[in-house]
Amino acid sequence: MKNLKLASRDQKKRTIVNVGGVEVGRGLVVIAGPCSVESEKQTIETAHAVKAAGADMMRGGAFKPRTSPYAFQGLGLEGLKILEKAREETGLPIVTEVIDPRDVSWVAEFADILQIGTRNMQNYALLKEVGKSGRPVLLKRGMYSTLSEWLNCAEYILSEGNPDVILCERGIRTFESYTRNTLDLSAVPAIKELTHLPIIIDPTHSTGRLSLIGPMSIASVAAGADGLIIEVHNKPEEALCDAAQALTPEMFTGIMSQVRPLQSFLENSMPAMS
Amino acid sequence: MKLKEIRKHIDKIDRELLVLLQERMGLALRSRKFKETTTDPDREEDVLARIERMNLDLVERSFSRQLLKTIIEESKRQQEEERPLVAFQGEHGAYGEVAARGLVPGGAYIPCMEFADVFRGVEEGSLDLGVVPVENSLEGAVTQVNDLLTSTELKVIGEAKVPVNHCLLATEATDYREIRLVYSHPQALAQCRGFLMRNHLEPRPYYDTAGAAKMLARENPNAAAAIASELSAELYNLEIIKRGIEDSPANRTRFLLLSRNDYEGVGDKTSIIFVTPHKAGSLFSILHLFAEAGINLTRIASMPLRSEPDNYSFFLDFEGTENDPSVSEVLNKMEEMTVTMKYLGSYPAANGDKVEG
Repeated sequence: MKNLKLASRDQKKRTIVNVGGVEVGRGLVVIAGPCSVESEKQTIETAHAVKAAGADMMRGGAFKPRTSPYAFQGLGLEGLKILEKAREETGLPIVTEVIDPRDVSWVAEFADILQIGTRNMQNYALLKEVGKSGRPVLLKRGMYSTLSEWLNCAEYILSEGNPDVILCERGIRTFESYTRNTLDLSAVPAIKELTHLPIIIDPTHSTGRLSLIGPMSIASVAAGADGLIIEVHNKPEEALCDAAQALTPEMFTGIMSQVRPLQSFLENSMPAMS
Repeated sequence: MKLKEIRKHIDKIDRELLVLLQERMGLALRSRKFKETTTDPDREEDVLARIERMNLDLVERSFSRQLLKTIIEESKRQQEEERPLVAFQGEHGAYGEVAARGLVPGGAYIPCMEFADVFRGVEEGSLDLGVVPVENSLEGAVTQVNDLLTSTELKVIGEAKVPVNHCLLATEATDYREIRLVYSHPQALAQCRGFLMRNHLEPRPYYDTAGAAKMLARENPNAAAAIASELSAELYNLEIIKRGIEDSPANRTRFLLLSRNDYEGVGDKTSIIFVTPHKAGSLFSILHLFAEAGINLTRIASMPLRSEPDNYSFFLDFEGTENDPSVSEVLNKMEEMTVTMKYLGSYPAANGDKVEG
């Protein structure tokens, strides 16, 4: 960890990333929405539903890095325009993934947070570009990456002059095949020891199983995560991407009714972690 | 040429045909003002015969006659609708047209090259109404228009405040990632400077915002986009890549509606222009009258006199009309205190941001 000049924990205050009034790094920030922007109707309906359930931000992919080149690749620019409309209607800041360095400045015109996906964590050209974008970056952990490799990627963004990096643990590859990935919850306290950057958890991609998302959300909050990013679809059975792991708005509301009180309880009963 | 290329050319020609047709319809509507009726068999036969004398191998004479006849029929149909001809400066899609559409729904909107053409056309009666910008919230007064207002006999019968909502437009075939050049009026380019820099786009000055949009539609140059109104996108079938790309969102232009006659109803706002004698306190004593009468001023601007560069004419807008005793009393007193005094008109005040840009 010697090369972490900007990301390391040394003599630094905790970073709080302000996104249109929402502070990541203080309290619990919940980001929710569909895997992909499929249509205006689906996106706007889901945006209203997650807002009603108490989400702080909206997620949705316009550019999708898919395992197969024949799978749905996202709506592109059209998707960005739909996300912008969802923000106009709900006021929720928008988190969306960028996969191509040529798209970074354009995505930054539409979105509030640029997401770097697990497959692109070590795409250094892309990291440099988002470092120059002037937008906060949500940096997902590479599915084969160590904490040190992950933090070095954060360092790439910080070193371009962008202080607003949010880390996101989304599960790593292990020999276990029942779950899609293995959620490494120990990353939360470990990251807090190693860096001043906020860390949130993605219980959707890490488990890939609907029944596990609720319990892992609760565990994440108990471990001290600064937030959650959860896939919610207004009609999961019709989703064009990752249909099996998207929560219905009702299921999401149920989880929200558990994690918010838990977070306040912990905040009031434990000395603030610094 | 490959099929794809041939089709691209055909599409381009179709767009050009329509843009030219739109221009022809506008001229046909204007010609109506000079004619007793819409039918003029001699002129029609003349036009058709002249077309037939063009011996184009691939366009049969009978076809060109039939085509032109159809166009003339449509012109006559439009002439008979007798929509008011509303003039604005710029090409179709200009912010002036956005204002005109808001102020006079259902009009026929006629583009003019210069502001002076708008004034002259309405003054002479070849156009019914005119829409001109007087000031912009970022750039200040539109001096040419204010200058023309000092000498015109036209009356102000309405106003509109149009939010300037610049859009980045490109043809459907253009991939946004390939855009390098952006054409627009220098003022619009300056207002979107931050956006252009962030996306590494090179500004290319053009004579008009809507003119740049029209050029894209007609010529479809490579790697090019335009900054213009949402209306331009609609008129020329361009894709809106991004709305609201101006650096400062509070950008509005105030337009006036001009007519040969006074506003027919009861307005709630009045515009005047006056010149005071060149002596101490003369402007103050006039403003004092308004203050004492409790009349709220909504605009005060000054402009050097053309004839006398050291002296100024003052533009004053205020709430109320001549029908209010307090206002007419102030105006009467002003007659004696000013060198010249010009009443532009009383009209309904624009309420907020009703007209969408």
